[in-house]
Amino acid sequence: MEKKLIGKRIMRNEDPRLLTGQAQFVDDVNLPGMLHAAFLRSEYAHARLVRLDVSKARQHPGVVAVFTAEDMGKDWFPGPPLVSPPPTVEDVVFHSRRQVPLVKDKIRHAGEAVAVVIAENRYIAEDAAELIEAEYESLPVIMNIEKALEADSPLVHDDLDSNLAAQLSQKKGDYEVARKAADVVIRRRILIERGAAAAMENRGVVAQWDAKGQALTVWDTTQAPIPIRNGLASRLGLSESQVRVIAPYIGGGFGPKIMMFYPEEMLIPWLAMKLNRPVKWIEDRRENFYATTQERGQVHDVEIALTRDGKVLGLKDDFLHDTGAYDPYGLTIPINTQCHAMGGYDIKNFTSEFKVVFTNKIIVTPVRGAGRPQGIFVIERMMDAAAKELGIDPVELRKRNLIQPDAFPYEHGIIDQAFAPLILDSGNYPAVLQKTLDAIGYEKFIKDEQPRLRKEGKHVGIAVAPFIETTGIGPYEGARVTVEASGKVNVATGIGTQGQGHFTSFAQIVAEQVGVKVTDVRIVTGDTAEFHWGTGTFASRGAVVAGSAMHAASSMVRKKIFTLASKILETPEEELELEDGVVRIADMPQRSISLGELALLANPLRGAVEPGTEPGLESTAYYGPRYGPTAFGAHAMILEIDPDTMMVKIRRYVVTEDCGTVLNPLILEGQVHGGVSMGIGNSFYEQLHYDENGQLLNASFADYLLVGATEMPHIEVHHVETLSPLNELGAKGAGEAGAIPVPALFAQAVENALHDQSVEVMEMPLSPNRLFELAKS
Amino acid sequence: MESTTQNLFELAVTINGTRYERKVEPRMLLSDFLRHELDLTGTHVGCEHGVCGACSVLMDGRPVRSCLMFAVQVNGHEIVTVEGLGTIDNLHPVQKSFQEAHGLQCGFCTPGILTTVVAFLETNPNPSDEEIREALSGNLCRCTGYQHIVDAVRLAAEKMKEK
Amino acid sequence: MKIEGEYIFDGPREAVWKLVRDPEVLMKCLPGTQTVNKISDTEFTGEVTVRIGPFSGAFAGRVIVSDEVPPQSCTLTVEGTGKIGFLKGVGSIAMTELEGGKTLMKYGGEAQIGGKVASVGQRLFDSVSKSMAKQGLDTLNEILKSSNA
Repeated sequence: MEKKLIGKRIMRNEDPRLLTGQAQFVDDVNLPGMLHAAFLRSEYAHARLVRLDVSKARQHPGVVAVFTAEDMGKDWFPGPPLVSPPPTVEDVVFHSRRQVPLVKDKIRHAGEAVAVVIAENRYIAEDAAELIEAEYESLPVIMNIEKALEADSPLVHDDLDSNLAAQLSQKKGDYEVARKAADVVIRRRILIERGAAAAMENRGVVAQWDAKGQALTVWDTTQAPIPIRNGLASRLGLSESQVRVIAPYIGGGFGPKIMMFYPEEMLIPWLAMKLNRPVKWIEDRRENFYATTQERGQVHDVEIALTRDGKVLGLKDDFLHDTGAYDPYGLTIPINTQCHAMGGYDIKNFTSEFKVVFTNKIIVTPVRGAGRPQGIFVIERMMDAAAKELGIDPVELRKRNLIQPDAFPYEHGIIDQAFAPLILDSGNYPAVLQKTLDAIGYEKFIKDEQPRLRKEGKHVGIAVAPFIETTGIGPYEGARVTVEASGKVNVATGIGTQGQGHFTSFAQIVAEQVGVKVTDVRIVTGDTAEFHWGTGTFASRGAVVAGSAMHAASSMVRKKIFTLASKILETPEEELELEDGVVRIADMPQRSISLGELALLANPLRGAVEPGTEPGLESTAYYGPRYGPTAFGAHAMILEIDPDTMMVKIRRYVVTEDCGTVLNPLILEGQVHGGVSMGIGNSFYEQLHYDENGQLLNASFADYLLVGATEMPHIEVHHVETLSPLNELGAKGAGEAGAIPVPALFAQAVENALHDQSVEVMEMPLSPNRLFELAKS
Repeated sequence: MESTTQNLFELAVTINGTRYERKVEPRMLLSDFLRHELDLTGTHVGCEHGVCGACSVLMDGRPVRSCLMFAVQVNGHEIVTVEGLGTIDNLHPVQKSFQEAHGLQCGFCTPGILTTVVAFLETNPNPSDEEIREALSGNLCRCTGYQHIVDAVRLAAEKMKEK
Repeated sequence: MKIEGEYIFDGPREAVWKLVRDPEVLMKCLPGTQTVNKISDTEFTGEVTVRIGPFSGAFAGRVIVSDEVPPQSCTLTVEGTGKIGFLKGVGSIAMTELEGGKTLMKYGGEAQIGGKVASVGQRLFDSVSKSMAKQGLDTLNEILKSSNA
């Protein structure tokens, strides 16, 4: 496929609106008569709601209503399960427990909503919420996932026998046989904590019920407007066509905004219908820490079995995973961890069992990486431990085990988060790794620079971490491409956009086929009135899945253009060219017709539309892969540590990314930079500090540390393009890639830097305090 | 604490060159005044505790966090928000540079960064990359990793020198 | 959160003990106390307004005195709830006579704090609790000295 626009560093279509403050975010929606909601949230992590008296709040001037679970009557019921457990794995244990709109009897995490106040403005609503009298009987709090599984542990869900939410095992080959044949078996316990997504825009919902037109409009900071539309229609007893969900410009998603149905998403539309006035709720930052989902901890017991010359024979990874108070999101994260625990290595024997555990904390749902960073951390740490044990250079050990270019498609025989077989479609792993090694100057650094720096007393370490990223999963997405009478092209798709540049990268895909300027393609995402079949933006799938649907739809439109133009210009299709919105005869360029004119002719005012054809220059197409492509990358870092303060400075950071066809290198680099910044956060700065009572002690940006411009290194990004055979674009996803290997990289670099203190890092995140403790012991 | 329509303060302030006179409650935040009273929704609220910088506007030319100010505090002052920097058809050189260098992704933190950068380049028209990062250290961005933002500021400095 | 410290009172142990066990005196001493009610000899309730950084609010509290060995030591169990958060704590005080008619009080305890104030006020707890303790003990000492005079 000849590419004129795909692969170009094209400026984004959406930027002028965003740069001038004209782009509409959910909190910018301002409707006449709009009311504002504020929530009373439980401060206790585990308690019975003994008494709730909202009478004083109801009487506060400016308050229109106060609702409790009781007040909702038969409209009170839990949210739907979103992702069920895999149907194809035997012996799966899965207890589905979902979140509720307002607490009825028992609170299961601090921040759970107990009552909602609706008032003329947010100031009054918050004033009134303070007047609500709530009495709680506090219960013992379940915080630690290992203790939670002990026989005498209190229960998060009293109707279950234990706090076990789910259990699933996957096997490949025979690990026990591999273990017996191995020369070396290494065991480690690995603890990984992640953190909050902390998008700059907090969540929000605005709902408007038009009683005369019997139509509900909802603006929602969601990554999945279509499932929200369907779910709301079902909950509220409406037809799907009566509900319009709009995800306008969204200020960052990163995962938690695809969690559906948050209590507020269930409540606010219901309130708008009940009160017959528009209702707005915008989350504040403290609420975001308590009431928006996050990723937290896993505890791994890992074993790796190798031959003396470093060939990995098998891997065993059993782990616990914290799901929080409910588990609507199924097993997505831990299954991703399992699927990435072998990394990009040719490991023929694998066994992994995970247990998902309920705790008294906010629900865990995917945050950029969605379980993949944990899997990569496990395998990379074990490879480093093995390298030390066997006395083999850590990079050499990895090279000996990488899946080779001729081994694709590589079938693992286990299933992934989409219940599809884990098949790595394509890749050239050694080339990507080598590019990173060359870019950071690995050999030279190890031989010359590091010894010299160490003589000077500096603690400088180098690290290299390869990784895979499963992307572009189904079920499907769709797109509709229409050439309008103006000659411009209108495109609609079901997924949403939270900054990834869809308005431009998708326009490039379409413009490539339809022969117009990128700026003449208008992309509509996230509005169920424009397109209403699809899933959402997550799992690094937007470009691959929706992009492929766009490519298919645009190709069909291109065919229609040529067919019609051929008829009008009375010339065979092969002799026509399409460029800059005009179809012309190659040898007689003065004979031409514009796309706008063609579009008008395709929509006849007189005459007939022939059977089997459609009016207009429009096509709709869907793309639904059986399984998604797997991207690959290798990061490298040179890090200096001050052994007195244990503060770090990243001296160099190199990324080589292979996500197949790159649609727009500018946008891709931005995604990598952003991912790395979140990965660095997860490695050293960000940590959710809960106390034993389920209280989050750092629920603000003053104490939950996001990296700033002065912490970020300059990142050098290199590309390798191994096209995916799974879609016509040859593309693989890349949205989460930047974040995935960083904790593994950090651990390696820290160990390498503190070479004289024999520190082994089997946990994440680190911090100056923690490094100090590790170095002392 | 009761909120009433009494005790309203008569505020007079110039925003983006236009004079506004409004009656406001003393406790109304400047960020809410701009966004809800005047429908100038370009200024965004990210944390409401003064750390993220998304709400930054210029007060008499200096960047301030509008979430940490009361509207009444700007009585008699001049405010510039992102809407006052440029328009879609006439972007400020800083805005144009951000587009060219891909210095924004979701765009939520961007207005606060633009106002901060405009003020910064006035006092430091020839900054090094380190000085740029230092100047940006009070603005959080979760999307970009800051690299293209730094590129955009460097580009803007060049553009403005040529003018 | 751990609280511990020492204080030297300008008076004999029996006098300090008597003041400590008098709810009206406590009301004067604990900064921000609005009301104190004696439920029994060993149980008090009350309302205290506390300011911690950006937060200020009223706490409705209950104090239970136990393990009394007058005039030497006792255990205090405290529970409080308010709009800005909740608190549970256990502490003990132990007093010994010093030369010159003075008394050394050693106090120590642990408090668990939750709610709004716990999520953003962490770093202030130490300094606030220290300053509240110092203020309260200074006031108690003044009352002691003036009652002796």
